[in-house]
Amino acid sequence: MLRRNLAILASVAALSLGTGVATAKTPQDQLVIAMAMSSIRGLDPQEINQFEAAEVVANLYDRLIALPPDRITEPQPSLAESWTVSEDGKTFTFKIRQGVTFHSGNPLTARDAEWSLHRLVKLGLAPSTDLRQWGFSAKNVDQLIRATDDYTLVVETPGVWNANLILYSLGSFSTSIVDRKLLMEREKNGDWGREYLQSADAGSGPYSLETWRANQLMSADAFENYWQGKPAMRRVFISNMPESSAQRLQIDAGDIDVATRLSSTDLGGLERDGKVTVQKTPGIGFYYLALNQKDEILSNPKVREAFRYLIDYDGLAATVMKYYGNKQQTIIPAGLPGSNTENPYKLDIDKAKQLLAEAGYPDGFSKVYYATPVTPEFEVAQSLQANAAKAGIRLDLQGGDHIGKFRNREFQLFSARSGDRLPDPHAVLQSYATNSNNSDEAKLTGLNAWRTAWEVPKDIQDMVVTAAHETDQEKRVELYHKINEAYLAASPALVTSFQRTDAKAVRTEVKGYVGHPTWLTRWDTVTKSE
Amino acid sequence: MSISQTTETHAPPSKLLTGGKKLATSFVVILTTLLGLLVITFVVGRMVPADPVIAVIGDQADQATYDRVYKEMGLDRPLYVQFGNYLSDVVQLDFGQSIVTKKPVAEDLARVFPATMELATLATLIGACFGIPLGVIAAVHKGTWIDHTARVVGLLGYSTPIFWLGTIVILVFYAHFGLIPPGGRIYVYDEGLVQARTNSIIIDSILAGQWQVFWSAIHHLITPAIILGYAAMAYLSRMSRSFMLEQLRQEYILTARAKGLGQRPIVWRHAFRNIRVQLLTVVALAYCGLLDGTVLIETVFAWPGLGQYLTSALFVSDMNAVLGSVLLIGIISIAINLLSDIVYRFIDPRTR
Repeated sequence: MLRRNLAILASVAALSLGTGVATAKTPQDQLVIAMAMSSIRGLDPQEINQFEAAEVVANLYDRLIALPPDRITEPQPSLAESWTVSEDGKTFTFKIRQGVTFHSGNPLTARDAEWSLHRLVKLGLAPSTDLRQWGFSAKNVDQLIRATDDYTLVVETPGVWNANLILYSLGSFSTSIVDRKLLMEREKNGDWGREYLQSADAGSGPYSLETWRANQLMSADAFENYWQGKPAMRRVFISNMPESSAQRLQIDAGDIDVATRLSSTDLGGLERDGKVTVQKTPGIGFYYLALNQKDEILSNPKVREAFRYLIDYDGLAATVMKYYGNKQQTIIPAGLPGSNTENPYKLDIDKAKQLLAEAGYPDGFSKVYYATPVTPEFEVAQSLQANAAKAGIRLDLQGGDHIGKFRNREFQLFSARSGDRLPDPHAVLQSYATNSNNSDEAKLTGLNAWRTAWEVPKDIQDMVVTAAHETDQEKRVELYHKINEAYLAASPALVTSFQRTDAKAVRTEVKGYVGHPTWLTRWDTVTKSE
Repeated sequence: MSISQTTETHAPPSKLLTGGKKLATSFVVILTTLLGLLVITFVVGRMVPADPVIAVIGDQADQATYDRVYKEMGLDRPLYVQFGNYLSDVVQLDFGQSIVTKKPVAEDLARVFPATMELATLATLIGACFGIPLGVIAAVHKGTWIDHTARVVGLLGYSTPIFWLGTIVILVFYAHFGLIPPGGRIYVYDEGLVQARTNSIIIDSILAGQWQVFWSAIHHLITPAIILGYAAMAYLSRMSRSFMLEQLRQEYILTARAKGLGQRPIVWRHAFRNIRVQLLTVVALAYCGLLDGTVLIETVFAWPGLGQYLTSALFVSDMNAVLGSVLLIGIISIAINLLSDIVYRFIDPRTR
């Protein structure tokens, strides 16, 4: 019996192994991207708020404005072929491109643009902050954002803001233009088609959704009638692959074209082999350490300063952060107006000890330290824990999802990584350097400065507000330089150590897949060489 | 109390009544088990530090959005009310919606469970087809090199971590020799060729006459099934060996030998007949174990089954998905045990 079973099994195995092996490489006209898909919560552009979901939405939809990855701060025409800004800086008039159609076949007009922006503000979900922060609300949006004819959209801002801030917002995934007619047909109980859009698309982008199986697979087909021409890749797949090692093996074998979730070790190994290019895309955010200012010890400026000497910037930069961050101790992300390359701090245990002694804690102290247990955040936290111990600070490092406690100020030390979507210093400064009301009741839980209970020096807060309203770009850059210096000198309760970079491995034969700082990586620019 | 009533109470119950009582008792036990399972999962789920609201809205959202979603998800109500509401929905077969897939959990389970079932069923078949004969042969040749070899093979399967074995197999047979696919249920480019009817790709591809997809599915299924099947084989061969050894010590075997019966009829017609019920129990147990224990192999082989669905739901506090999956596992375990109970009665008249 055993012999017979062995024979059967051997023949089935041989038969199955003999099939399919030859088809292991990705086809020439298809792109396969590996992702950890569990973070993608539906595909509604006016609801999602995650890095991975944004890439899908970026390709199913278009926006009024395009922000090219290599010129991220220069708004370019997209669905809006041109625009003008009134002299008072409050009225933006967009000319909508004619002849554009949605995947459904419906023509795209200014009415769709108006409806999409109203939808974003009125649904009031997380990404609605992209418009709400400029003063738009469910009450005023009908008057302030309106289509005056089929191809003209007028956007009036309640106050005067720097024009770029408004244009950047209109280039964010949340302001994607959706198919009004289709969604009104699919609307259920006044939900603006929200249920439908969880697993469908209503866009005009270069790709139309073919298959969506949450947490498993997405496939999208090139849109024949795309206004910029049909993309080269006939079909794009996103395959759920949360494991770094699996992604490494498969990109090495050519079963996937792009790997998006690789550890530093795997990225290093792949880069050495030469089959892939590792892209390091700078993001609008930081790896930061938050010291709760409600804690008596941590609110001492000398203690805060001591922590800046306990981070091993150079050691981390050469190892775990090699692909995930660029050393940066100032607050304006490199590449944006007002940024500078000044990094005056380095690991110096003796200096930290001296500062602790001056603060009245020569023997150190003990604190609980929350950090997210993912690479590279946790390795960064472990490094700090080890260096702090040398200076006498005993940190009880606890991994876990503690972001809720951070939002509610229920922590002592916390470290994580942030990411914003507007390619402007204001995006980061608003969260790190403004806190208009530091009381518990204010519940400004969206701001890192409030979460840290940090009374940001008033001059810094004033400068951040002034710069956002400043229409003269030169004056604005000058202000950001000043803010950068003042923040560095303030011994901030939010200590930045690295600017976030997002690393992706791309097979060398794949051209034109370019990581985007505000998460809008496009597939229609991709081609494959032999 | 009247005499007649007393007499009625003490009257010997009819066979029918006993059967009814047994059925009622089983029913209560099943319901209590499932309820206990749900209560524990619900409470543990609420103790996990991850905030399900932030999992939905992201870290940057303001307080107004947070409060709104918090209410939408029903988290503002007391825990017992939340559980009560959940329970009343479950009774109406509504398991709620998953926060990750944004679809009814029942629909998700109908999609992922067949994947796990395909894997577990083939693994159990492999385990049983090889493990049982191996165990029997080892028992018959006790103390010889055949027995020792079988025991070593069993011990290796028993003690080798599946996660490790899966990884090594992928490294050697996929990365080095390119003989097996890297993972998943079919090649990604074969997706969309077959319409999902039963959610079992093997059955769906046969129904659609899509043989390319069928072979792609078999090709992907065979490696994880062999690895899981090896672990099941190890367990089943050990159990079969010990059951068989016990039977071979019995007097009726001695009698059979004295009558001059050959080794093969003694082993397979007499001894093996008597261990069938015990074997059925362990095969059922192995199958249950594989259905809810494929988490690791599903992770290694990117197999989109119940194990992967449950673990990714756990990581983001997707409690409806977690509770639905746990309930399904509970129901399946109970159903398999009940089924094996029923099959006993056919195999062994003594249990009737």
